[in-house]
Amino acid sequence: MTGLAPPASAHLMAGALVIFTAFVMLVPLGVVIASSFSESQFLVFPPQGFSFRWYREILSSEAYLSAAWTSLKIAVIVTTFSVLVGTPTAIALAKSDTPGRATLSGLFLSPLVLPTLIFGIGLLMTMSIWLGGASIWGLIVGHLVICVPYVIRTVSAVLSRADPLLEEAARTMGANVWKKYLHVVLPQCRTGMAAGAFFAFNISFDDAVIALFVRAPGVETLPIRIYGQLEFSPDPSVAAVSTLMILVSLALVLLVDQAIGLDRMT
Amino acid sequence: MAAIDSVRAQTRQESLFLLVPGVLVLLIAFLFPVGTILITSVVDWTEDGVFVLTTSHFEKFFVDDYYLKVAWRTLRLALVITLATAIFGVPLAYIMQRAHPTLRFIILLMVILPLMTSVVIRTFGWLVVLGNGGLLATLVAPLGFTGRSAVLMHTEAGIVIAMVQVLLPFMVLTVLGVLQGIGRELEEAGRTMGAGFWQVLRVIVLPLAVPGIVSGSLIVFALSLSSFITPSLVGGVRLPVMAGSIYQSIGGSFDWPFAAAQSVLLLAATLLLIIPYARLVRTSQ
Repeated sequence: MTGLAPPASAHLMAGALVIFTAFVMLVPLGVVIASSFSESQFLVFPPQGFSFRWYREILSSEAYLSAAWTSLKIAVIVTTFSVLVGTPTAIALAKSDTPGRATLSGLFLSPLVLPTLIFGIGLLMTMSIWLGGASIWGLIVGHLVICVPYVIRTVSAVLSRADPLLEEAARTMGANVWKKYLHVVLPQCRTGMAAGAFFAFNISFDDAVIALFVRAPGVETLPIRIYGQLEFSPDPSVAAVSTLMILVSLALVLLVDQAIGLDRMT
Repeated sequence: MAAIDSVRAQTRQESLFLLVPGVLVLLIAFLFPVGTILITSVVDWTEDGVFVLTTSHFEKFFVDDYYLKVAWRTLRLALVITLATAIFGVPLAYIMQRAHPTLRFIILLMVILPLMTSVVIRTFGWLVVLGNGGLLATLVAPLGFTGRSAVLMHTEAGIVIAMVQVLLPFMVLTVLGVLQGIGRELEEAGRTMGAGFWQVLRVIVLPLAVPGIVSGSLIVFALSLSSFITPSLVGGVRLPVMAGSIYQSIGGSFDWPFAAAQSVLLLAATLLLIIPYARLVRTSQ
């Protein structure tokens, strides 16, 4: 086998590429985290001194706390509805005799590849024309469109590994439709639903694009607040908020990995 | 036979029932808004409150040098971003395929984590790295690059770098999917028959990975066409792209029909790329 090993030069180049990529991928997040512990008023690199003052600042800032609360509320509602809508859709798409399966699944997953901004603009226009203006529900609906496909994907990924005979066995043994879904199908979906929920929460909590377009009066989410600060004068308090949000994302990624394995999401 | 037919009819009924919530969301939140954009882009309201069909909003785009420049910049940036993600992403996918599972997980995590953090935070990171007094300027100062030449903020190069970070996972994961389907046997066969490592890569692996590279490129290109937050914060007002120009038409000049027309153009360009992408993905499955 040793004769088939890649040459040393290949190993060297691979190592260099991995390190370089790690640098490009992680340094921007790293500088945000490092800046959040700065002592100075200004965002410079390397950060000066070490303190938790910006964390104290954001945790006592009415504006940040209310934005965080708004984001959390929206994300919880969006996550709940995404799972409620995405799970039955994935179950139906997994059945081989659902009519028009391929077309439907393409249609359901299309928000993953279409520009998010289009949904934002479309919702803004729709709501202004027919509903008298944007509201927090417009934002929730917008998030729902981009989150449901993730639940469909994660639940489908789990169902593709599930045993189709179980469902049949349940039926032939006399379980009625409700019992079959409650005791056989749903338990099979559980890990996919969990992973989908983590994705949905993360996407809704982090979204700035739909929120920028469907901006309802009095509704400011955390990413919108950060965007506003970046447009004029970012100080290390933005870095502190961002660091907390990075931690939330990291936790959710690891939870998805626990639930179904990250490499199944490709 | 009748029993089988009735079972089939029942599962069909169940599927239709299960599809109801999904279809409702798709209608209310997707088709209806996209329909509204399409209609807004081709009608004009006259003073008496009636509306007439018009192509004037599209004409406005194609006769104005400014907007053609914006479109050209958007296309050019998308092309460079796609090339850059392919140059880094394809070898990275191959390394992941061959690496030890632990190393593969570490690379996967580092590729996915930026994707999972909010775009405003990622972009904020780049502002600190690329900006005045930022990390890059500090690093290259001893090499004699100072002042403007060390600051990539408000440059197209800065936009490309920041966008590659976001879009690399789409390339890596698409190519990785295809490479895993090929398996290692062909490569080993090539090696045992006397071909060198690089020759096997060139003659066997790369040609077989082409469908993955093409579909990865299509998705990266499509996503970079419509990217908004990163180009507008890193590029600033001097370097508007399509998405920024649409935002400007909505919030700045309040010309919604024109914003709708630009959105339709963007959507059409995206669909042109996504349809072959969907076909490729389907055949590779």
